[in-house]
Order: sequence, then C-alpha cells, then structure tokens
Amino acid sequence: MAPKRAVNAPSAPSPSTSAFSSSASTTLSSGPKTLSANSSVPDIAVHVWQQYLTTTPQRTLLLDAFMAFLVLVGGVQFAYCVLAGNYPFNAFLSGFCAAVGQFVLTASLRMQTSSVEGASGKGASSVPVKAGKGAVGRGKDTDGVSHERAFADFVFGSLILHFFCINFIN
Amino acid sequence: MRWCPSLMLFGFLAAVNALSSSGNRLLVVLEDSAEKGLYSTLWGDLEARGYNLIFESPKNEQLSLFELGDRAYDHVLLLPPKSKGFGPSLSPKNLVDFIDSDGNVLLALSGKSTTPSAVSSLLLEFDLHLPSDRSSVAVDHFNYDTLSASEKHDVLVLERPGKLRPDTKDFFGGEGVLAIPSASPHTLGDTSLLAPILRAPATAYSFNPKEDAGSVEDVFATGSQLALVSALQARNSARFTLLGSVESLQDKWFSASVQAPGGKQVETANREFAKQLTAWTFKETGVLKVGKIEHHLVKDDLTVEDLNPTIYRVKNETVFTIEVSEYAYDKYIPFEVPANDALQLEFTMLSPFHRLNLTPTKQTENSTVFSTQFTVPDQHGIFSFRVNYKRPFLTNIEEKHEVTVRHYAHNEYPRSWKISGGWVWIAGLWSVIAGFLAFVVVWLYSAPTSAADRRKKTQ
Repeated sequence: MAPKRAVNAPSAPSPSTSAFSSSASTTLSSGPKTLSANSSVPDIAVHVWQQYLTTTPQRTLLLDAFMAFLVLVGGVQFAYCVLAGNYPFNAFLSGFCAAVGQFVLTASLRMQTSSVEGASGKGASSVPVKAGKGAVGRGKDTDGVSHERAFADFVFGSLILHFFCINFIN
Repeated sequence: MRWCPSLMLFGFLAAVNALSSSGNRLLVVLEDSAEKGLYSTLWGDLEARGYNLIFESPKNEQLSLFELGDRAYDHVLLLPPKSKGFGPSLSPKNLVDFIDSDGNVLLALSGKSTTPSAVSSLLLEFDLHLPSDRSSVAVDHFNYDTLSASEKHDVLVLERPGKLRPDTKDFFGGEGVLAIPSASPHTLGDTSLLAPILRAPATAYSFNPKEDAGSVEDVFATGSQLALVSALQARNSARFTLLGSVESLQDKWFSASVQAPGGKQVETANREFAKQLTAWTFKETGVLKVGKIEHHLVKDDLTVEDLNPTIYRVKNETVFTIEVSEYAYDKYIPFEVPANDALQLEFTMLSPFHRLNLTPTKQTENSTVFSTQFTVPDQHGIFSFRVNYKRPFLTNIEEKHEVTVRHYAHNEYPRSWKISGGWVWIAGLWSVIAGFLAFVVVWLYSAPTSAADRRKKTQ
C-alpha cells in the first residue's frame, strides 16, 4: 500500500485541508513536502506516517489508538493462553472475547464516524464513499446515522459486552 | 413361683447358647432304625449343640419337608437309602425346593451299596457327578488303613483338609488323620458354587468291586479329580454337603485307631471332622451378618442428619463403613477377612467407577467395622455403594445402596480470582473496560472542537 499511498499523497492534502481546521491547513502548507518519484523506503514510510498524523481527524486518531491498545491486550491474552494453558478456560474466553468484541465495536464506530471526513476530504479512512451524498456534512453518515447516535450505540453495545464478560468470568 | 420366669429365661439362654444361626430343627432320614445305634455319638454331639433331632423313615407317608407352604425343618441329614430312593416326599425336586427356601442338607453316601438313581439325579442338579455304575469305591494302595483293610485297601487314611485356596478361611482343618471307609467318590462340575472339602489323594482311584479286574482299564476318575466330601453353597447361601462315606460318621470310626502303610498307629479325628462338617452345613460356622452400613461426607462433627444422605455432589470426599459379624458355633464374633483376600466396596453406575479395599477400623465385641474413604468420581448420575463378597464356605454378602450424585451448583465453583492462573485474563478484561472508559471520556472531551469547527463551517 505504501507506494500507492505515496502516489496518491500529492492529491490528498488540498481537499482535506479545506475540510478541517485552519491549523491543519497551515501545518500542511508548510509541512511535509511531496515526495519525488524515486524516494527511499524509509522516506516513504516516514512520509506516510506524517501524512496520517496530519490529515487524520483527532477522533479517528483516538479510535485508532484505542484499537491498537485492544489488539495489544488481545494479543497478550492469547499468547498467555498458548504458553500457560487454557485453565480456567472461561476466564480466557471472556478476557479474549472482551478485547475482540470491543475491537469490533470500535471498528464499527470508526466506520460510522470517519466516513464523513473521508467523503469531504479523502483522509486515512478507507471506507468507500459515494461522492454525491458525502457532501452533506453535518456529521451525517451515508446511511443517515449521526455521530451522536453512532457513539450512543457504541456505548450501549460495549456495556452489554462488558456485562456478559464480567458475568462469564465469574 | 417367683423363680419360675427366671428359670424359663435360663432355659431359653441354654437353648440359645449353642445353636445354629438358622434354626435347630434337624430331620434325620434313616431308613433302618436299627442303624440308629451305630451313630449314637454323632446324635449325642448334635443334641449337645442344641439341635432338635427328628428321626424319620423315608417310607413314612406323613413325612413332608414343608408344612403349610413353609419349611417344616431347618436342616436335613440324609443317610444312604437302602431301597430305590428316598421316596416321594424326598424327591430331588422337593429337596431342591427345600434348599431354595434356605434349608440346609447333608447327604451321606456309602460305597457299600449302590446309590439309587434318584440320588444320582439329585446330585446332577448340583453338578456333582457319581461314577456311572454308582457303586464304586475309592481305593488307594498307598494311603489305606493297614489294620482294617489290609486286603481291600478301601479305608483311606487321609490328612485333615487344609485351606481350599490361600485366600479362604479354614473351617475343616486341624490335627490328626481321617479314616474314610468305603467312600463313594464323585467329581465336581465347573460351577463356582461348588467347593471340594476333602479330595482323594493323588494315588486314589475309583474301583467297582462288583465288576472284574478288567474295569480298572477305564476308570471313572483318578487321583485328586475324585472328591470325597464336597460342598455347594447356593446363591441364597443355603448349604448342601455331600459326604462320600457315611461309615466315617459311625461310632466305630470316631474312636478307631488306624495305621497308614509305614506309619504309626494313631487315633482318627473323625469326630472332630464330623463336628466341623455338620456345623458348617447347618450354618454354625462361616455365616456372615452385615450390621450397620453408614456413608457420609468427611466431616468433623457428624450429626444424625449427615448420615446416609441420598444425594452427593461430584468430587465429594465420602466415607463408607460396614459392620460385619461372623457366626462361630454359638455367637457372633468380629469377622476377619482371610489373608490375601479383601472385602471391597464398589461405587458403581452400571460399571464400577471405584473398587476399593475396605480396611478394618474398629472392632466391637461381636463385629468388625470396615471402612474406606474416597472421592466421588466426576460424573453425575444414580450411583450405588455395593459390597459384593462371595467366597467359598462363607455366606454371601450382597449390599446395594443407591445414591444420587449431582454436579456442581453454579455457586459452588471457585470465584475467578481464586484461580491464580486466570489473573492475566481478568486483568485483560478489566484493562479493556478501563480503556473503554478512558476512551469515552477522551472522546467526549475531544468533541467540542470538531463540533465548533463543523458549526463554523456550516455557518
């Protein structure tokens, strides 16, 4: 993906800056330069990372950080199960499923909240966006779900998940 | 008159003093009453042990083993008949019915007369086989009595029998030698209910004196294949004993001196052996009685409610105790399991999940308390505590007590934090929850900027 992203990168900044805060646009204008066609691999990686940091909205960054944390927690629990055995199995199931389930819910929230930004300015989001509807803005998704509603659903789903996991772990 | 009740009580005590564990009415079937005198010592011994001897001739029309559908006698001693059989009242079927209803039978045969076919068919019911000519005598040219049978060699001089197997009790052993004159030998079928008490020595064989010497060519059986005294204990623990030589019970042989070839002249131990044999057959020895059976959880302070519960849980620690007594001539004594043998408890559901040796833990005046402790298997269902002890010469113990074994109730499992192995996953779960809460807080705090931005943008 990195080379493709790098090729796309020149076109990305200008629409995104218009969609977001002025501070972002200023940093961008004076920020990372566009890459030449024959850059080295570390340069490309650094450039992609810089692009990601500068063009992604803060809430999406927060979502990504939380998802990375969940992957870490889930990975540690699975590795412990592989190394130390699965007794007590219900504890493993609920601990691991809590991480996985929370990850799924967070991914859903990310899909529902980051698509608008993606529509108005092709950010880091990979969600496909229909060009015509995306311009509506006002925090509305393509399916017409508001960000508040999506967040409320996320909280509700998470609470149910935690309730079941705590009960199952006994 | 005041001493009258106490005298009666004393009389009862005396009657109780030496008595079989299953009654004292002994029917002696004797065809020729003139022969009664030949066995006077035996009758005296039996009466001294508390038996009420009733002599009857098989020809008596009134004789019946049953009265109003119940046993009329507790034990029967059959002496060999002179005629074709014991008559209609003592037919093989009647005798088998008598044993089925817990009566004990001692049948004595003689090699001097031909055994009637009715008796032979009775023995076939018990898988005991007589020689086909039914008039054979056990002969031994190495273990005969040189004083009385120097020509015919048909008075066998034998050691007292020892244990049948290393793991059985010895009810017929002792010092001295037995004289077994003109014994009618038999062989035993292959059934676990039969046990030989006295086998013929290895050099003995079955010989029909009425035929010519040629018959020795195809003998019925030889050596220790031949049994001289055998016992059958039915599944209801009723006893049937076959004694090959009725003459060995006669006064003459109780006090005779015998001399084996090359041996010393010694007194016979027939009287002692006859006592052991009749005592065993008429249930004075080898009778086991189960007393109290208790099972409960392992606990320090047991109350009555804790005993013999109907339900256990899987993995409960459980104690089972059983009290067993053995009757020995006139009283119950603590039962001791023979060496090399074990009284076992089975905890079964269709098949045993546990089969454990019960160990003696306590001894009372007349019983031994056996017990064992075990963990209920991890399998719920209807289980039973079973003690199934069936051994030669001992009455059967067959105890079965059903209990329900349930699985864990949901609140009987250990809580998650009690298991240290799960701490990592518990920490994982709570870190997910904590991460979620932190995420929600940060999300909400990060909201205004974008909302303001959006508002700004729309305006």
